[in-house]
Amino acid sequence: MLQHADVFESDAVIIDLEDSVVIQKKAEARRLVFEYLDKFLPLKMEVYIRINDPSTPYFLEDLALLDPLDVDGYVLPKATKETLDIVTKHTKKPIVAIIESAYSVVTLEEIAKEKQVSALLLGAEDYTTDMNIERTVDGEELLYVRSKLAVTAKAFGKEAIDTPFTAKDEEENLKKDILRAKNLGLHSKSIIHPNHVDLVNQLMMPSPALIDWAKRVLKKKEMTQKGAFSLDGKMVDEPVIKKAEQLIEEIKKYS
Amino acid sequence: MIKTGTLESSDCMIELSPASARKIDIESIVLEQFGEQIYGVIMEVLDAYKVDKIHVRCMDKGALDYTIKARLKSALALWGEMNG
Repeated sequence: MLQHADVFESDAVIIDLEDSVVIQKKAEARRLVFEYLDKFLPLKMEVYIRINDPSTPYFLEDLALLDPLDVDGYVLPKATKETLDIVTKHTKKPIVAIIESAYSVVTLEEIAKEKQVSALLLGAEDYTTDMNIERTVDGEELLYVRSKLAVTAKAFGKEAIDTPFTAKDEEENLKKDILRAKNLGLHSKSIIHPNHVDLVNQLMMPSPALIDWAKRVLKKKEMTQKGAFSLDGKMVDEPVIKKAEQLIEEIKKYS
Repeated sequence: MIKTGTLESSDCMIELSPASARKIDIESIVLEQFGEQIYGVIMEVLDAYKVDKIHVRCMDKGALDYTIKARLKSALALWGEMNG
């Protein structure tokens, strides 16, 4: 599977050494990942490794072998301020902090403040387990944590990444799940199956209608040279212009 | 005996056992096309690890070089732990 990592047109790939690797195979998996990346880096997308957390004996072994590789960062499971303090003593690489416990949610600002943390990623399976609540297709139980994660990430200039949608073949539900997260301010989504790449890419990007609107806002602003004007019967002022500018900037990232 | 890897597609299984000299057996679905290359990868790793008295059995299911290297290095690490 590793050698197919860059054929699905995702923006990034996370190679997992944590939950998907049984304890007896940790060393073998780590060695396989090292040999693969040592041979094929750089890939055409960003590469992250989900390492084992510092409470395990595998954490230091992961970093000892993998830290010399030029990957884009590590994904830290069960991230807390306390575990981040340990990880940042052993690596200078960016860290994507997985938020998957009630404790991590209430101490989220401390995690987001850490300089090496580049993104917050919601881990809904562990979070709902920790909260002893059911994970549903509607995702109502994630409303608070998604909102808090999006707002905190924004406040500290970090990326907010949504939890994966775990049903492989439920396209309509996946679509709703993506839009629910996007509307709350999570502009990236992790996935666990390559089938989900296209839909996530398509829906997380601003729609063609929205891009067209943003272009027209900026064009009219240039033409009128006014701080406020009307477009399509609606008032356009500074915050709306700023939103249009942000959107155009975002599009440049995708293209 | 030490075993690493799997018999899944694009992987290989490596078995190590003691021998009086270096001995390499390769079973591969692409033996005709890539047998020499696989042999070369195994020799390169054994040379780097300075291991001679060993029997390496490689059951290849179409693994790329990096996979063969990784599986053999993992096996040699276990070999080292067991044999000091």
